[in-house]
Amino acid sequence: MKKHLFHFSKVIALAFILFSCTNSETEKPLGEFDSGILIMNEGAFGSNDGEVYHLNPATDELKPNIFESANGRPFAGLLQDLVLENDQLYLVANTGKIEIVNSGDFASIGAVTADLDQPRSLTVNSGKLFISDYGPYDADFNTPDSYIAVVQDVNGGGVTNKIPVSRKPEDLISFGKFILVAGSEEGIVEVIDAEEEEVIETIEVEGSPKVFFEANGGIYLFSTSLEEVTIYSFNLDDFTTASTDVFPISNATGKIAFGNDGIMYLIRSSGFPDYVDAVATLSLFNSTVNPTWYEGSGFYGIGADPLRGEIYLANANGFQGNGTVTVLDESGNEVRDFEVGRGPSGFLMR
Amino acid sequence: MILFVWVLSFFGQIPEKQDTVSLSEIEVNAAVLERYSQGQKQITWKKEDLALVGSQSLGELLSAQSPVFIREYGPGMLASPSFRGTSAGHTAIFWNGMPLNSPSLGQSDLSLLPVFAFESASLHFGSNGALIGNEAIGGSLHLNSENKFDQGSEFSFTQEIGSFGQSNTQLKGSFSSKKFYSQTKFYRHFTENNFSFRNLALPETPIQKQHHARVNQQGIVQDLAWKITENKKLKTALWYHDADREIQPPMGSSTQDQQQDQSLRWVLDYERYGDKSTIQLKTGFIAENQIFNESLNRTKQFILGAEWDYQAHEHWFFHLGTRFTHQTGELSTYQALDQRAELFQSVKFEPSEKLDIALNLRQIAYSERIQPWIPSLGLGWTFWENRSQELKLNLSGGKGFKVPTLNDRFWSPGGNPDLLPENSWTSEAGLEWKSGTLEQSLTGYYMNVDNWIIWLPQGNVWSPENIRKVRSEGIEYQGKVFFKTGEITWTNLWQYSLNRAVSIRGISENDPSLGKQLPYTPQHQANFSIKAHYRAFYLFAQNTFTGKRNVTADNPRTLDAFSLSDLALGCSGFQLGDLKIPVQFRIQNLFNTEYQVLYLRPMPGRSYHINLSIQL
Repeated sequence: MKKHLFHFSKVIALAFILFSCTNSETEKPLGEFDSGILIMNEGAFGSNDGEVYHLNPATDELKPNIFESANGRPFAGLLQDLVLENDQLYLVANTGKIEIVNSGDFASIGAVTADLDQPRSLTVNSGKLFISDYGPYDADFNTPDSYIAVVQDVNGGGVTNKIPVSRKPEDLISFGKFILVAGSEEGIVEVIDAEEEEVIETIEVEGSPKVFFEANGGIYLFSTSLEEVTIYSFNLDDFTTASTDVFPISNATGKIAFGNDGIMYLIRSSGFPDYVDAVATLSLFNSTVNPTWYEGSGFYGIGADPLRGEIYLANANGFQGNGTVTVLDESGNEVRDFEVGRGPSGFLMR
Repeated sequence: MILFVWVLSFFGQIPEKQDTVSLSEIEVNAAVLERYSQGQKQITWKKEDLALVGSQSLGELLSAQSPVFIREYGPGMLASPSFRGTSAGHTAIFWNGMPLNSPSLGQSDLSLLPVFAFESASLHFGSNGALIGNEAIGGSLHLNSENKFDQGSEFSFTQEIGSFGQSNTQLKGSFSSKKFYSQTKFYRHFTENNFSFRNLALPETPIQKQHHARVNQQGIVQDLAWKITENKKLKTALWYHDADREIQPPMGSSTQDQQQDQSLRWVLDYERYGDKSTIQLKTGFIAENQIFNESLNRTKQFILGAEWDYQAHEHWFFHLGTRFTHQTGELSTYQALDQRAELFQSVKFEPSEKLDIALNLRQIAYSERIQPWIPSLGLGWTFWENRSQELKLNLSGGKGFKVPTLNDRFWSPGGNPDLLPENSWTSEAGLEWKSGTLEQSLTGYYMNVDNWIIWLPQGNVWSPENIRKVRSEGIEYQGKVFFKTGEITWTNLWQYSLNRAVSIRGISENDPSLGKQLPYTPQHQANFSIKAHYRAFYLFAQNTFTGKRNVTADNPRTLDAFSLSDLALGCSGFQLGDLKIPVQFRIQNLFNTEYQVLYLRPMPGRSYHINLSIQL
């Protein structure tokens, strides 16, 4: 097992934020929301009140509900993921739609509003959108018909194809014309040929694959199981696992963030009935683990701002009202906290 | 409470021709509920009041004609009451003395209770666990059949058609002799619910038709009564209701949920009365199936009770009762059984016609727990009176409680068997002023609800805890006037309520909801109605105002206030030989107001309804 796999710089680490994303090379004037921190608020089940807040960390100015402010209508969905691709932000609602906005001002560009069930994430490849979707629940609340929905236009439109995949696909990542799918329930990574729109390979992994990230030109997968987490890398020429690193961190939820010096921050939760949450740290340079770096309950999302050396920890406050964000320094000391939207679940550092 | 039906029917105390909602009216030969609920506000709807809205649901009636706020997830969808700032499970609902709230959910869906199914309804305000029992925290609602002897036979057929594919059919037949009474009702209420709404979830917010909200409800109600002797009566009622609904998704969701609800309710009463005492024995059974997307949940309740009412002296009245309840639940994730035993006692002292004082007590045992001390005390005092005017003071205080539901205790995973009952203390003071045909009342109340159960996420599992403490206070004003101009008879009713219900203990010391108005609890509500009668013709108009509501407990997002108006024109009966043919034309949401009761749950605009009956 290779333990010292990662050689991060601060600049590379910035690209590893929870939402795996690629930045555009084109020059354009920066919009209001092209810098700062976007806070993803999932919303409460049945209320469809997901929204995005924007924080300017230099001034602490917090703008609520920026989708509704920019477009004069509510987001009206449960916000599952926020994906930045080519200056466009894709707001993935697990209630069945994708809203596409200009990343600078949040003005609506397009949407995918039909033929989706429970979308989870999205990637752009070959000029098309590929949307991971749990599919509909059956009578026992299982999702046997999960799929990757294909939309032929990066600005949205109708779903033209549904590629069947293993149950409960989560994160997606593109390289070349290929897409990796984290099949979270069956421990399968599917490889999709984006041009042919079909699964060409499946890779079996341990645990529940949750999040992909890029480092050193390679693609890595973060996978969780009850007692440990596993980080895989892949041989992209023959679609096999290249390395497997196992770390003794129990009860990881799949919410991660990357800070300075190769530190990964992970939310852990014992779940019902004890319900003790913690943030664990994992040094990707020397494999040091601190399973209880910061403890509490109600942790629902995490982000890191490597430039300021701050960790953003979101608490959903039981979904009874708005959530709160606690800002921690790299030693785990509370710096400040502030109220955000309902069910804060992630951060996109711009 | 339980003797209410009998006392009314036997002594015939419901005046048949009175055509108004009777506000704060206390029946003269008071039945138990009235006799021992001094000082507490109530509203009563009699048969004639209900006939005006006979094709509607209980939710629609309360929404338009009471201060109870109805949390409505769409027309015909789940409608749950919020009474004086309390939650859906804090209003006890009874049909002929049988508790209608689901043992597993602890609440009722008022969309599934058609007004046509019962003959009268009364709404009692405030906590009164002693007199009424479990779940009477915000208040209680009592739906009753009636049985009247020696009335011959009657038959009626009613068909209503309306906008959005509505078709309601109602059949009623009754027969009574000196000793026997039978009434059979059948109803089918169908609506396609394909109303247009602005879809705020889509770019350009297009106007769309609702396409997943069809509702089909049907049921049968059978009432039977047998006067065994002049002082003994046996009566029974059976109600089967079946509903099949497409669940209207909130804007932004594309769910295609389907829900079927089937309820079988049966009650049997034996009553024996003498000069000074009455005895009632009651038994009943309620079985409910709910199928949500093929997931089946079944509950059953069996009840056995006995009550004795006694006038010991000219000024003293006593009431003793006991009730046993056996509940079972076969839910999709658990099976459970619950048994309860209750004792209750009431005493009323009525030193004069102007003053009466009642004390009620109840003890309940369930699942190895005992609630030994549930009291209420009330006073009604007409302290000033002259030839045409009267002023009455009402004072009351009481405790309410709610035993945690089967889901609260046994849902797997997450159920919490250690939950304590929710409990409340209410005090209220009211003044009633009658001046000729003008009646007005002003009531102020103060209530604390503690151990309020909320479900909180613990990772992926949600689990209930006794967390919240809520203080609810408010003012309710209502009035009624009745007058004539020429041949036209006018009746006006109006109400205004102010409620402030705030959380004073939340999920943590820093809970941002502390001190703020509870979600979906309007501070201001008002309604106004006017009815004009000219010979056989009538015009009925009502307007309801609902103030802004907060979507979440900490109030960052609010829903706009809205005002709805309805207008009905009708004729109480064209005569064709022995046939009488009442007709009604009704417009609901007259001004086509675009509104949401709950966030992103669209409601219909203007609708037209024609109602025609044939009575024999």
